[in-house]
Amino acid sequence: MGRVAEDEERAFPELVRRYQGRVTNLVSRVLNDRECADDLAQEVFIRVFVHRRNYRRGSKFSTWLFTIAANLAKNEIRRRVRRRNWFSLDALQEVLKDSAIQLADPTEGRESAMEREQLQKAVGHAIATVPEKYRLALVLRDIEGLAYEEIAQVLNIPGGTVRSRINRARSMLKRKIQPLLKREGQP
Amino acid sequence: MKCAQVRELFGAYWDDETTQAEREALEQHFTACDECRSEYEVFSRTLELMGSLPRTEAAPDLVDRVLARARRVSPAPDRVAGKGLRWVPVTAAAALAVLALVSIAPWFNVTPREGTRPAAPVAVHDPAAITPERSGVHEPAREHGVGASQLARTVISDSLFDHSEDVEFILDPVTLKRGRVRSLAPSTMGVQGERASITF
Repeated sequence: MGRVAEDEERAFPELVRRYQGRVTNLVSRVLNDRECADDLAQEVFIRVFVHRRNYRRGSKFSTWLFTIAANLAKNEIRRRVRRRNWFSLDALQEVLKDSAIQLADPTEGRESAMEREQLQKAVGHAIATVPEKYRLALVLRDIEGLAYEEIAQVLNIPGGTVRSRINRARSMLKRKIQPLLKREGQP
Repeated sequence: MKCAQVRELFGAYWDDETTQAEREALEQHFTACDECRSEYEVFSRTLELMGSLPRTEAAPDLVDRVLARARRVSPAPDRVAGKGLRWVPVTAAAALAVLALVSIAPWFNVTPREGTRPAAPVAVHDPAAITPERSGVHEPAREHGVGASQLARTVISDSLFDHSEDVEFILDPVTLKRGRVRSLAPSTMGVQGERASITF
């Protein structure tokens, strides 16, 4: 990132190539919207480019990158909420119902590819119904694997708040996923 | 350990952030409490599912799109440099004002006479005949009710006197190097005289 800040020509494309997957995955999981994730990932890198001279050397680049990504994802969630065009709980229940029926099929001894896909889809939708402030912390921790301290920096909140948000988010998600797992034959 | 306490520790247990004592207590509780064990299995299965979600790959043309847009945008101003530049005009203006004041300061002490240009200082060769304006507490010319012309002479700036006989130099040229003032004159310690002034 230091080379990008110094306007080295080849450094920025390298940086985009290196981090595009993580950024796209993060915003995709937070928004549960593949199409929008591409546009948002693009926006994240443009912001990095525009503000490259404000990057503080010595700080962790991925933290700065995730901060930008998390802020843009938050803005997008809020924009959708304002437009009332966001994924509804009813839609989630519909997806869960469909998944549960397929997963409960007694003819399948093992989880088929389709079942797995359905389950993942349901989990993706369940994540999207967790309130925004919990969801970001949850995705950063349990999907992107960031340390609690780094999440605190990305979200600019105290470490204790990060832990409590993640605990709450996990409990919420567990409650949403639980019916599905019971039908699947899990405990 | 009670069930509620155990469930509070699910997250820390998953993250492997419990103390050894907590972990042992938790695992002992699981052997005795089917409900908590079952709850933890659902909890851990949920997080496993989250972790196993397929990664969303970036669009194949993302790099090209980003670079195409990046070519059209200009970088945001450097915040550090921007802050530094803001005080430069103010400082420069203040410095100019100080210089201007210093340059004209001697002329403020002169009572302008009609037909006399203040920009033309006159050297007086008899300083003893005139009581300097800033001589301190004692002002004998006023005390003894001297005439107007004599009083006018008393307010002539001391800097207008020719002190060439009192001091060896008028201006001491200085140069600035690396922020330190260095005098070109070998030393000013040997200068003799009661008063010295610099005339511009």
